[in-house]
Amino acid sequence: MIGMWYEDHEVGQTAPLGAHRFTREAILDFARQFDPQPFHLDEAAAAKSMFGGLCASGWHTVSVSMRLLVDGRRAQRQALAAHGETPPPLGLGRGVRDLRWSAPVRPGDEIAFSLRVESLRETRRPDWGLIGMRIVGVNQDGREVCAYTLIGLAARRPA
Amino acid sequence: MDALYFEDFSPGEVVEFGDRLVTAEEIVEFARQFDPQPFHLDEAAARQSVAGGLIASGWHSVALMMRMICDELFVGSSSQGSPGIESIDWLKPVRPGDRLSVRLTTVGTRPTRSRPEIGVVEMRFDLLNQNRELVMRQQGSVFFGRRTNGEAQR
Repeated sequence: MIGMWYEDHEVGQTAPLGAHRFTREAILDFARQFDPQPFHLDEAAAAKSMFGGLCASGWHTVSVSMRLLVDGRRAQRQALAAHGETPPPLGLGRGVRDLRWSAPVRPGDEIAFSLRVESLRETRRPDWGLIGMRIVGVNQDGREVCAYTLIGLAARRPA
Repeated sequence: MDALYFEDFSPGEVVEFGDRLVTAEEIVEFARQFDPQPFHLDEAAARQSVAGGLIASGWHSVALMMRMICDELFVGSSSQGSPGIESIDWLKPVRPGDRLSVRLTTVGTRPTRSRPEIGVVEMRFDLLNQNRELVMRQQGSVFFGRRTNGEAQR
């Protein structure tokens, strides 16, 4: 398990984030709200599209990966608090680089996500550092479906 | 609106569209599903955090912008999805009561070698708030169908 402070991170560290099964209902629900393109909403139209069948919005896939990341961190914070330690303040995300959707996510697919620490950079502020994490989703057949680098602020351990 | 095709995009063109009021309720609802961190969930907790008050998940901003793009451009067009996004930058927080709009710049267009019926349009999407501040910038590519099949022209 990777620690929560900036200083706990090293480039190359990896961690599993857990897996999520994408149901047809959830795919349709996300698409109706945020990405109502025919290949995310309608099986017949999707069959005629480049995707050859219904698939999840790419934004749905990455939003789910965020949920798994946040759930893992929350569990870690609770564990720290249970040991009487104060967890670090939460930092905000700055952005994303090199996001790729390499294969469609279909109804019923189970996507396992993982992260790898890709970069560490100090900032002008002594209390925050920038961490780049490569997040990758792989389906039940071992095929990568999405990958992106999330750049976010992490609190520095007080000296 | 007529269906948009690859040929309808010219590098350098800028269009603006959308007007989306963001409510506290939907910020919290999105966060509960996808990004349950205190500064996206609870005003009181958010005030104690680095955000200084309730702010939308960056992924919610992405989703809200996508909806405006779908309504204006993609739905009813020849859009065939995106292979990926070069970059997203979250530059300013989105807060309850903000009104968001989109500014699209066509950065470039290129045919695809392997699929003559499809072309790639490189786009930059800027998300603006009611004060015309840039809150998010996203740059990436979208596949569009070609009005005249590239193969037929050979």
